[in-house]
Amino acid sequence: MAPNARIPGMAAPTQERPLDLERPIREIGTDLAARMPRPRAVSTARVERRMTELLMKDPALRAALFRFVDVRPACSSPADVTRHLHEFLVDAESKTARRATGITGRPLAQRPIAVAAAAGVKRMAQQFIIGEDARDALPEITKLWRNGVETTVDLLGEATVSETEADTYMRRCEETLRALASAATKPGQVNLSVKVSALTPLLRPTAPERGIEGARPRLERLLRVAKEVGAHLHVDMESFDTREAITALTLDLLSKPEFADGPSAGIVLQAYLVDSPEHLDELLHWAQSTPRTHPFVIRLVKGAYWDHEVVQAAQMGWAPPVFTDRHECDRNFEALTKRLIDATPTVKVAIASHNLRSISHAAAYADARGVGNEDLEFQILRGLGDDTQAAIAATGRQVRAYCPVGDLVAGMAYLVRRLLENTANDSFLAAAASGTDTAELLEAP
Amino acid sequence: MNTTFRNEPLLELRRGPVRNEALQALAALDARLPLEVPMLIGDDVVTGQVFASVDPSNPTTVVANAHAATAAHVHDAITAAERGQQVWSKRPTTERAAALSRAAGILRSRRFELAALAVREAGKPWAEADGDVAEAIDFLEYYAQNALVLDAGRPLVQMPGERNSMRYVPRGVTGVIAPWNFPLAIAAGMVSAALATGNAVVLKPAEQAPACAKAVVDALHAAGVPHDALALLPGGDEPGKALVADPRIHTIVFTGSVAAGLNILQTAHTMVPGQRHVKKVIAEMGGKNAIIVDSDADLDDVVPGLLKSAFGFAGQKCSAASRALIHRAVADELTERLAGALSTLRVGPAADFGTDVPPVIDIAAQQRIEGYIDSAAPLAQGDTRDDGFYVPPTLFAGLPTDHKIIQEEIFGPVLSLETVDSVEHACELVDAGGFALTGGLFSRSPRTIEHVSERTPVGNLYINREITGAMVGRQPFGGGRLSGTGPKAGGPDYLLQFVEARAVTENTVRHGLVV
Ligand SMILES: Cc1cc2nc3c(=O)[nH]c(=O)nc-3n(C[C@H](O)[C@H](O)[C@H](O)COP(=O)(O)OP(=O)(O)OC[C@H]3O[C@@H](n4cnc5c(N)ncnc54)[C@H](O)[C@@H]3O)c2cc1C
Ligand SMILES: NC(=O)c1ccc[n+]([C@@H]2O[C@H](COP(=O)([O-])OP(=O)(O)OC[C@H]3O[C@@H](n4cnc5c(N)ncnc54)[C@H](O)[C@@H]3O)[C@@H](O)[C@H]2O)c1
Repeated sequence: MAPNARIPGMAAPTQERPLDLERPIREIGTDLAARMPRPRAVSTARVERRMTELLMKDPALRAALFRFVDVRPACSSPADVTRHLHEFLVDAESKTARRATGITGRPLAQRPIAVAAAAGVKRMAQQFIIGEDARDALPEITKLWRNGVETTVDLLGEATVSETEADTYMRRCEETLRALASAATKPGQVNLSVKVSALTPLLRPTAPERGIEGARPRLERLLRVAKEVGAHLHVDMESFDTREAITALTLDLLSKPEFADGPSAGIVLQAYLVDSPEHLDELLHWAQSTPRTHPFVIRLVKGAYWDHEVVQAAQMGWAPPVFTDRHECDRNFEALTKRLIDATPTVKVAIASHNLRSISHAAAYADARGVGNEDLEFQILRGLGDDTQAAIAATGRQVRAYCPVGDLVAGMAYLVRRLLENTANDSFLAAAASGTDTAELLEAP
Repeated sequence: MNTTFRNEPLLELRRGPVRNEALQALAALDARLPLEVPMLIGDDVVTGQVFASVDPSNPTTVVANAHAATAAHVHDAITAAERGQQVWSKRPTTERAAALSRAAGILRSRRFELAALAVREAGKPWAEADGDVAEAIDFLEYYAQNALVLDAGRPLVQMPGERNSMRYVPRGVTGVIAPWNFPLAIAAGMVSAALATGNAVVLKPAEQAPACAKAVVDALHAAGVPHDALALLPGGDEPGKALVADPRIHTIVFTGSVAAGLNILQTAHTMVPGQRHVKKVIAEMGGKNAIIVDSDADLDDVVPGLLKSAFGFAGQKCSAASRALIHRAVADELTERLAGALSTLRVGPAADFGTDVPPVIDIAAQQRIEGYIDSAAPLAQGDTRDDGFYVPPTLFAGLPTDHKIIQEEIFGPVLSLETVDSVEHACELVDAGGFALTGGLFSRSPRTIEHVSERTPVGNLYINREITGAMVGRQPFGGGRLSGTGPKAGGPDYLLQFVEARAVTENTVRHGLVV
């Protein structure tokens, strides 16, 4: 029953809705969807879509492929590549996998298969990773800039297990900041996302102070460099084990008087965490009491470590720190979106999602509140959100692409995570890829 | 009583408020130190020669004053236990299981306090100390449930005219001799397995951790286990030896070093006048555990896996890794990364949440381990301190295979790296050893994993993870060769060691008719 069909005199619904966002959400979402390249028209996209469908339907094959992608950089020779691929496929019990075994099992086919598989992984990686290092990535980045898309660069690396490795990562960050600055054409263009876990080997879940002290000098130095070259430094959020350390360190450093007038900096809020509303309280409270020349940026994401959090909690006997109901996570994302937009201009908001509903909801609410590109941007992951990025940019809203940079070995963990995310049964991208219609994709969670 | 076993949840120490609660429990415990640990023999609380257990992180702190049992006390305790055996073995299994489950509940309600006690008395860092309490609870619940299953007997082949049945009966008075390194869990596990199956127990805990053992015994007594059926005899190996030698003991359950275990086996298997049965010895002994690293391993996982396995609780777990057998293709890179990672380990008091490597248990252990460290030139070495029984975490590389660092159980924070030409080569090296407790493999090849799983002699093989931290019901634990006599603690077969089977066949034919 439409709201205006209510019988006169009857009590209004108990919860008066100040804003009906559903209609603008549908409009914005339909418009964005219409601006995305039609999948059928693009042949590579079709292959990819078929691939995604296949993987979603066949968990054994999906597992085999991911294990192959994971081990690929550690394979020393084409024979080694083939051996692993073959073993994974044998392991997979599905029919599809067995058919493929027949091919790779033939010695004659070994070399070509290995070369193809190796190249396949490389091609896949290149879709997500824009270059081996900053210099290598510059052409792609400047191309995005020219097209009106902002970027943030993420340096992929191996796990940091020693102080030397932490120093190396810090130096790479510094070099990247300077390389980007030298190519920048306007202020505020240089933007780097950093991981605290790469800046120290001392993160300990039961002793946050160790990680904080370990990473402090390096993050501090990067903040100074960022300020010097006029860059934005964004601190990524990682698994729940490290949230306390990452948050405390970031806020503590940014509270120093020397950083009040720069650089621009930000942090991440993960909506899949059950206590994320309280985490936002903490962030907003800090932002309100710490005046900054460049408003503190809060990037809202759902969270990239869902499986890890759930598995770890189950093995330890803990209540999971994350929502286990997709819809609850999505509803929380929307509630946090509103609170963040309401908190502008004290903070600047970045909505990082590929989910058309989440994006449209944020856009609709921002429009209703009169919040524009000054205070709000959308962010997507390179390789996963390219279509979304193009559509958002075309509507005149600000969009930023998160661009991983690094070699194949370092990039594999990232690649595997993205692939898993992309083909998870309940992911937005998988639903979109399998042809769910736009209206359904835009329904309230 | 619940019938599906679930591991006791661990404390979520990554949350600040939980850590605060732990520290409050520690402060409350500290205010009560030193604790008194008398002998508990039948209904008697017996005193004797006092010895102290101290805090390894701060040896001037006396954690407990315990009263050492002599051979005469052992004699008295076994006499009481023979009475207890009569009473306890006649209780229905359901009643015995309920008592164990109640004891688990008591430990659960003292969760933080007992973890604090293990921190102080055994120098266990918080997460390990908490794991010890949780494992003690797990053993009580798991064996209680398994005893109920065992009570149902096993199906036999039946014929017309005969009725066959088999049931399990308790073996008799059981001597339990426990180590200090899992002062709550291993004592609780060995004691509760014997009790669950209807045996009276005389417990002789390790002299380094008597107060932890008393906490377990107190919980069982409070839960309804008759005092006669469970005696506590603190002390060193003197009461241990007397216990093993007494002809009235039926079963000896021991966890500790191979030297003590072999001595126990020998004594137990020597008949003494008056003895009318063969004693059974369940012995869980040492290890010399190796982790194999294949060329396709993910070194990002290997480094933390090795650090945790070798240096967690200062390497004082029977499951700890002390050898890494590394494929030539990744040896240089891994060695460099490990050496770098070693210096990130913080050596410090067990009670500090930031500690990675705590002190070792006592001065004898410290000197023994230093003896090993001084016997070769380390590749890399971490920090140490002199205000407790500290030993620097140490890495060796490229030692000859017959070096004692590679051959003997060190039971300290020492890891030696060896380069191998292949996984098969590594398997041969493992196979050549006398111990076969735990082992590890880092590989991403399904076939290699399968091959090593089949080929390995070890009792517990862990793939692509650390090799410590076995969970009751999930990783039944125990080794072969010189590492033990085989039964898997925390596994479905463990209780069979504590019972004898009685088969009864009744002729049901009377006057040519089946009745
Ligand atoms: C620019 C950018 C930066 C990012 N930075 C970070 C970062 O710093 N830290 C970080 O953790 N992530 C980060 N992410 C990753 C982000 O968390 C994932 O991309 C995101 O999880 C995918 O969400 P979506 O809205 O695009 O897709 P959707 O398909 O709408 O959502 C998928 C997400 O929902 C959640 N989910 C899945 N199943 C369930 C369930 N059963 N119950 C509850 N929730 C569930 C998970 O978080 C999953 O990733 C970033 C993403 C982008 C685009
Ligand atoms: N396999 C396992 O499950 C397991 C588990 C934990 C510890 N351990 C082993 O335990 C050892 C460390 O513990 P520990 O130092 O307490 O061992 P330990 O052998 O010195 O002492 C263990 C217990 O046996 C007693 N004891 C010693 N000699 C005895 C004898 N001759 N007769 C009777 N009792 C005797 C001790 O008093 C103590 O209670 C290591 O070798 C470790 O590998 C094995």
